[in-house]
Amino acid sequence: MNTRTMLLASATILAVAMPALAETSDKTIALSNNYAGNSWRQAMLTSWETITGPAVADGTVAGADAFTTAENQATEQAAQIQNMILQGYNAIVLNAASPTALNGAVKEACDAGITVVSFDGIVTEPCAWRIAVNFKEMGRSQVEYLAGVLPEGGNLLEIRGLAGVFVDDEISAGIAEGVAQFPQFKIVGSVHGDWAQDVAQKAVAGILPSLPEIAGVVTQGGDGYGAAQAIAATDRPMPVIVMGNREDELKWWKEQKDANGYATMSVSIAPGVSTLAFWVAQQILDGNEVPKDLTVPFLRIDQDTLEDNLANTQAGGVANVEYSQADAIAVIDAAK
Amino acid sequence: MKALFAKPWIWSFVAAVSVWLATIGVTGGASTVGLSQAALTFAAFSVLVGIGQMFVITLGPGNIDLSVPATMALAGTVALKYMDGQNGLVLHGLIIAIFIGGGVGTLNYALIKALRIPPIIATLSMSFVVQSAAIWTNRGLRIKPPQVLADFTTSTSLGIPNIALVALLMSAVAWVLLHRTPYGRWIMAIGQSLPAARMAGIAVDGNRFVTYLFCAILAAICGYLLACFSGGAALNMGSEYLLMSIAVVVIGGTAVAGGDSNVPGIWGASLFMFLVVSMLNTYGVGAGVRLIMTGVIIITVILLASGRKDAIR
Repeated sequence: MNTRTMLLASATILAVAMPALAETSDKTIALSNNYAGNSWRQAMLTSWETITGPAVADGTVAGADAFTTAENQATEQAAQIQNMILQGYNAIVLNAASPTALNGAVKEACDAGITVVSFDGIVTEPCAWRIAVNFKEMGRSQVEYLAGVLPEGGNLLEIRGLAGVFVDDEISAGIAEGVAQFPQFKIVGSVHGDWAQDVAQKAVAGILPSLPEIAGVVTQGGDGYGAAQAIAATDRPMPVIVMGNREDELKWWKEQKDANGYATMSVSIAPGVSTLAFWVAQQILDGNEVPKDLTVPFLRIDQDTLEDNLANTQAGGVANVEYSQADAIAVIDAAK
Repeated sequence: MKALFAKPWIWSFVAAVSVWLATIGVTGGASTVGLSQAALTFAAFSVLVGIGQMFVITLGPGNIDLSVPATMALAGTVALKYMDGQNGLVLHGLIIAIFIGGGVGTLNYALIKALRIPPIIATLSMSFVVQSAAIWTNRGLRIKPPQVLADFTTSTSLGIPNIALVALLMSAVAWVLLHRTPYGRWIMAIGQSLPAARMAGIAVDGNRFVTYLFCAILAAICGYLLACFSGGAALNMGSEYLLMSIAVVVIGGTAVAGGDSNVPGIWGASLFMFLVVSMLNTYGVGAGVRLIMTGVIIITVILLASGRKDAIR
């Protein structure tokens, strides 16, 4: 009885102090993350801390803990989600190792009354929310950009991601769509760069000697600098390489821009999308109606915004934006 | 000629040369220089880790070092972070990388010997510790290498990539160690029969320790060079060198069961592994078919090599 009175009293005080936040101030949100071994994921986790730290401190939510599995395995992550259910979190924000293999664990969480919001690596289980990336459009927009700067078209080299991964197929399909839309371009070579600069460098160095002159390189992010290194090692003219917002890519672009006016663009998803997912989960817990499928906005960098973005990007990191509660509400409204 | 074909490493070279010819054939020979230089450069990294792995595999069944990728990542990130792009600190960076390799190698063998953990488990768990240390030291940041090192690793001397020359030098050292020193005889003997080697008075533990140390140091040097070559260290930069380091040893004609190793085969196999991917990319084969083809070709080469061995025995 005593406790109850106290809770009631504190709830009343909170309700008076910050009426908009009262609904979720006793809720806890957990981040279930499947992988932390690259700069994008590291930035994602840092953004999560940057945004959720103050949100916990000012009482918007009671807790926001981040957990990462060691092995990037769906089974391991399913066990992690089951632990989170037992620990009694109110919401789980999820970057999933597999779109389907976690569905069982996600269903268990839903049945336990837990809100599950998946982002980036989404899950297909209908009870979960999905904050998905339109990867096809990401691929298509690259060719559209190239059509703008190279109106006469030319040969393209495509650098793909990790073979067999959904994201790789989607971006590549988008690029194929773009080439169909702008038939002055032709893909003359395709290699898998695994989203890593050194793998891309190796693959490009291997195929380059057998290729005709290249006008443009379409990429998936994390591979543009490696491609540039491989091409710079030959006596070929530098093609327009679409970048993927990594700091080393932007820095190289800036050096080339200053030296010879090199122009390109860069597009990727900001790692801060984890904070968008956090606010979406908070909105759902707050009782707001949120559509099950939301789309992440792209973070695109152009010739005139390069300097600003480069200045804001941590050395060796990825260009990033962190989302606010207002941004999340705007994304939710756009999907309604 | 017959003696040449009796060598266990010859098939990896036969495979590498055929794939090389098939690839330059597409462009009528125009890509010869570019492709050869690229192949030598990237093969050099596989050679460095392959030699270390070969010495470990020589020790006999169950001996393998799975901490190679993590060691590469840690050595690369810490060395580049310390050098911070300054030309004057190049040697310091190399020494740091070697010390990291030495540390990992020592801990690997400490786990194997003191805690009696099988090498495959000991080095795997060590790789988690090392990888976490790499994540912790720089949170995935990519720091540029000093300019002199970047230039050295990416340029050529007399048309041969400098990296390949470094790998060649290390291979020569490894060949002398393996065939011209008591140490080489001892680890071959340990690989053929550990109890027999022990009874013959060979210091089994000392030799095994030195071998794990050597493997980790080579991986660390490789990580240091690779980070400088590709314009910065990345946490995942070693990942493809785990299977690669084992594959080049096996394709190169070294006995997987240990006790019978050779250095030249590592070169043939490393060149072959790079060229086969380049060839299939050049022919525009899709990723699925390419992976299947890579597997089939590797199996064929291994079968050819082992078939020859049976004939001799």
